[in-house]
Amino acid sequence: MIAVENLTKRYAGVTAVDNLSFTVKRGEIVGFLGPNGAGKSTTMRILSAFMPATSGKATVAGYDVFTQSEEVRRRIGYMPENNPLYLEMRVSEYLNYRAALKGVSSSKRKTRTDEVLERCGLKDVSRRIVGQLSKGYRQRVGLADSLVHDPDLLILDEPTIGLDPNQIRQVRQLIKDLGKRHTILLSTHILPEVEMTCSRVMIINKGKVVASDTPENLTKLIEGGGTVRAEIRGDRAVIERELGALPGVKNVVIEAGNDGFVCATVYAPPRNDVRVHIYEKAAANKWTLRELSRVRQTLEDVFVSITRVEAPPSKQEEEK
Amino acid sequence: MSKLCTLWQREIAAYFLSPIAYLVMVSFLVLNGVGFWMLVMAFDGRTNDVSVMQIFFGSFFYWIGMLMAVPVITMRLFAEEKRLGTIETLMTAPVSDVVVVWSKFLGAATFFALLWLPTLSYSWLLNQFAAAPTPIDWGPVVMAYIGTMLVGFFYVSLGLMASSLTQNQIIAAIIGFVLIAIMFFLGFMINIGPAWLQSFFGYIGSIDHVRDFSRGQLDLRRVILYISATVFVLFCTQKIVESRKWR
Ligand SMILES: Nc1ncnc2c1ncn2[C@@H]1O[C@H](COP(=O)(O)OP(=O)(O)OP(=O)(O)O)[C@@H](O)[C@H]1O
Ligand SMILES: [Mg+2]
Repeated sequence: MIAVENLTKRYAGVTAVDNLSFTVKRGEIVGFLGPNGAGKSTTMRILSAFMPATSGKATVAGYDVFTQSEEVRRRIGYMPENNPLYLEMRVSEYLNYRAALKGVSSSKRKTRTDEVLERCGLKDVSRRIVGQLSKGYRQRVGLADSLVHDPDLLILDEPTIGLDPNQIRQVRQLIKDLGKRHTILLSTHILPEVEMTCSRVMIINKGKVVASDTPENLTKLIEGGGTVRAEIRGDRAVIERELGALPGVKNVVIEAGNDGFVCATVYAPPRNDVRVHIYEKAAANKWTLRELSRVRQTLEDVFVSITRVEAPPSKQEEEK
Repeated sequence: MSKLCTLWQREIAAYFLSPIAYLVMVSFLVLNGVGFWMLVMAFDGRTNDVSVMQIFFGSFFYWIGMLMAVPVITMRLFAEEKRLGTIETLMTAPVSDVVVVWSKFLGAATFFALLWLPTLSYSWLLNQFAAAPTPIDWGPVVMAYIGTMLVGFFYVSLGLMASSLTQNQIIAAIIGFVLIAIMFFLGFMINIGPAWLQSFFGYIGSIDHVRDFSRGQLDLRRVILYISATVFVLFCTQKIVESRKWR
């Protein structure tokens, strides 16, 4: 559906997108992640034919985004960052106007707008003025606009930004439903959302792809028995020293509980299960061991560990 | 073509959904009304071979109205879209830049034409309340309106271009006003500089054109001048809008 090859975009002095290449297959829901200024919005603007790249090639459904941009625009539903809308128009008026602009024939326009009003839960506010709606409802209007011409591909730039948890849930469900019929590329900073909705995650940093896989595989990538949490009753200093001396352990962080137990977080490299060593150590020293578990890595940890230029978490903790 | 129509309708609707439009309409009406009334007072009881309508077109109030109204009408066209970010939804819809530019021009030009609608009653009013009703010579009146539209549409295109340069409406209005004022004041410069420059100024300055139009002289060269100048400015505007692609 999308094929991007060696895409580069330079603004005066800034390289926003740097030799980016990726593909998105039909039917995928791809979460597009990256820190602020990574070039997500820029890439999306290029894909939606708002502006061309400095160099490189991008095609959507086989059409070049620059030379055949009208064909591309016909097939894309794009929701820009910050969801710009004409605030003085009424909801149904706006959607009707957008449908006409996107070439929905006048005979089908009514059914199309009714359908997207229904889908996005806008039925009750269709007569309201957009500028008087709450942010969540405006967000839905933006989403409805991107859907109104029934495009093959949806490009949504931070569709759930600024919504309350209930609305995030609803929009997330909506996106999931849409994913059954459309290909979706969405950017967001809400990582649990990506874990729940996306079939694939693509993380970019400084204009380059740094990771691209399913959410599960990505969390496995930095997991593999890495960090372990143990709750032990015993002398804090001794525990810290003894656990730190275990083979493969990079760092130990001890927090004292208020019931005589201490909570130790043991950092070790992936694929090096230190749980056994900890158990043996506890048995040898006659410590009471209350909990011993692997810390499950979330997508957030993956995101942080691969987009941050500084040290991994262990070193940071050490400085504190 | 249907998309041009869709966009054009939305432009006109946008005017009537904003308070600025009503402000412009009322101010314009008051300004021209006062100007007209003063002229009528000045001519009261006197006979003159120049009809009041001829003086009206080209009068001080007429020009103040033109020079002030047009930049206020046009300032929002692109600047507001850029400020709101709706330029992105607009330009990623399957429409070409030419269509967008022309629809904005036509929307503003339509609104400009609507501003003049109430003044159509002036000729009729004159005749109704004149001491000695004389049949109006409609020819020059019609010419005057055609001339006003030609000049006005050209100014609208200048205002539109100004709006495409910035995302700040105030700046757009100021640039638009300056461009339009230059075109207007060139008409006063026919005594400055070398002969070829004088004739050039005389050729493009607006002030004489409106006066001649209102005397019933439809100089085809001038009609063509205004139409081609308008098209040229719209072409430049299109290039400015496209410039986001190579900046
Ligand atoms: N119009 C512009 N002119 C100059 N530089 C720009 C422009 N737009 C973006 N940039 C720069 O390009 C880089 C990438 O910006 P972009 O908006 O694509 O980031 P992003 O990944 O969407 O970030 P965010 O998560 O904050 O939305 C940034 O360094 C930004 O400063
Ligand atoms: Mg962004």
